Amino acid sequence: MIPEVSKIISEFDNLGYVVEEELATVLLLTLKLQKPLLLEGPPGVGKTEAAHIIASHLQTNLIRLQCYEGLDVHQAIYEWNYQKQLLSIKINEQSSLSASEKEAHIFGEDYLMKRPLLQAITATDKAPVLLIDEVDRADEEFEAFLLELLSDFQISIPEMGTVKAPHRPVVILTSNRTRELSDALKRRCLYHWIDYPNFEKELKIVQKRFPVMNEDVALTLVKLVTHFREQNLQKSPGIAETLDWCDGLLALGMERFTPEFIEKTLGCILKSETDIQSVKAQNLEQVLEAVEA
Amino acid sequence: MALAHFKHYPSFDEALIGFTRYCRENELGIGLSHSQEALQAATAGFAGDEGTLKYTLKALFCTCTEDHDTFDKCFQVFWGTRKHTYNHKIQNKNTSNVVKRSNNSLVMMGFKPQGAETPKEEEEAKNVSGASAVESLKFTDFSKVSAIDRQVLDELANKLLKQLNHRLKRKLESTKQGQIDIRKTIRNNMSNGDALIKLARRDRKMERYRIILLLDVSGSMDKYSFFLLKFIWSLKSNLKQIEAFVFSTKLVRITEFLRQDQLDETLFQMSQNADNWSSGTKIGKCFEDFNNLYAKRILNGKSITIVLSDGLDHGQPELLAQETQKIRLRTSKLVWLNPLKGTQGYEPTARGMQAALPSIDEFQSAHNLHSLLELENILANV
Repeated sequence: MIPEVSKIISEFDNLGYVVEEELATVLLLTLKLQKPLLLEGPPGVGKTEAAHIIASHLQTNLIRLQCYEGLDVHQAIYEWNYQKQLLSIKINEQSSLSASEKEAHIFGEDYLMKRPLLQAITATDKAPVLLIDEVDRADEEFEAFLLELLSDFQISIPEMGTVKAPHRPVVILTSNRTRELSDALKRRCLYHWIDYPNFEKELKIVQKRFPVMNEDVALTLVKLVTHFREQNLQKSPGIAETLDWCDGLLALGMERFTPEFIEKTLGCILKSETDIQSVKAQNLEQVLEAVEA
Repeated sequence: MALAHFKHYPSFDEALIGFTRYCRENELGIGLSHSQEALQAATAGFAGDEGTLKYTLKALFCTCTEDHDTFDKCFQVFWGTRKHTYNHKIQNKNTSNVVKRSNNSLVMMGFKPQGAETPKEEEEAKNVSGASAVESLKFTDFSKVSAIDRQVLDELANKLLKQLNHRLKRKLESTKQGQIDIRKTIRNNMSNGDALIKLARRDRKMERYRIILLLDVSGSMDKYSFFLLKFIWSLKSNLKQIEAFVFSTKLVRITEFLRQDQLDETLFQMSQNADNWSSGTKIGKCFEDFNNLYAKRILNGKSITIVLSDGLDHGQPELLAQETQKIRLRTSKLVWLNPLKGTQGYEPTARGMQAALPSIDEFQSAHNLHSLLELENILANV
């Protein structure tokens, strides 16, 4: 491990994010090479969280673009404020400005509604962190558009010309892999796969987030989650679910696990009816005993 | 071939370039820019330690988690402590249980395991295209896929069909936010003087078509029906209005079995209920049943009927001709996909096919993945 990596691990640790050597190296590389980073992995393993932590590590803004199907240029980059433009035309009808001046006026910055990508490009004081979340949900057309942005960090607006970023934003893309991203996009990014955490890491995360929690309870909880994850469930619980469960546990003031309690709070950790049924069908008492042993 | 160990190179930079070449030879998709970035990263201090170097290059060179294994092996060979002179190609050896697995699903569908195919046939199939293995698989006739290729083909099919679905859905759903409708905007804003404040937008109105699939599962279609069923199953996940039937000597509606999340579950339920697999063929009779029982309810001006069959019929051609025509009159488009059409020199001379031809709008092949993907055009431009 080179000193810079261990430095980044301890800094992230202070911010409350447990990061292993590999991810730390990749994050450092992202900052050094100024290349976008593509994080893939199952839902709820802390992909989005990684971007948040980088932003607070760099003490800069996080600009987030949530992708969805049908996302288009108007929602991702910019749109003209048509109403304002029309009103402005109306107001300036009587003024002595020439037509070309009027035109230049209504296509000025005041009338431009900046959406996340343009915001990220035009940030003046400091390079922001741009999080393009769940990029696999967007359409392929949008992906093609991202290519221009990610390789040159510039956007062309026909009425205004090309806008180039004064500071290169740190770009993090996340994907749940509901579909394969195009090779062209992947080629422009660093790649890292975040998997479910191993037992020690998860325990560390729980203890970090919930220092008040009894150590034995935390241990049992993480073991139970690991046990659930080993089963062939429709949706395996991620770290997010583990933390939810911890929250629930503390809120209900439970001192120790009982089968009834597990049964009642299964909804914190399993998010599908079939999964809940299949877990309930097991003998929870035995499961608990086996886990606690 | 690149020398496969770093000690063969005089300097670290050259070794790094050697490593990129070595990875490229082992089929990681690495371009020139990757070697540049690797050097850049090394200069930035990421080569100070073996672990860091490994993680750095991994993030640079891999584009999906499936690459990780190959990369790890490459890294181990290239940067390992033991110097060696031989060059070997890294191979992923995780195909050992393929035959068993694919056989299970085949047996379930009433197939015989196909391990005993002659090597000559496989060769012929692979020669279809000279491009990469993936490309050639796309053009390989389903009936000539060996058991080992089958897994690869399954994965490829999953991937391509997912993409197809994605595009189709996009095309069918169109935009939610339309262009500004100037005429309507002006009319709506009359009360404001001529200041245009409320903007009216115009959407393209999309017609929703219903898709009806009739899959032939008779003995002569054995080699194809599994793939075609898979195709139907993957279509259903995004096209909401879909009706599917399988037919051989009798007609069975399988729409409700398709509702399962897992293909295995669908197959299981079908094996319980559809007892007409791999029997003879009476297309005319089945179409008659279809017309009597379902056609009035499910066929309308906004439906596309797709028949997947080889047209080898044991029934009366007159009946088939008559019933096909009936279907044609009720549906807006009748597509016939015939796996045999992919074979060179095929002419639709079978009596059944001859009888049905006059009523068909589109007559296409369906013998390999590529031809199934072509269907996108039919489905999208209706």
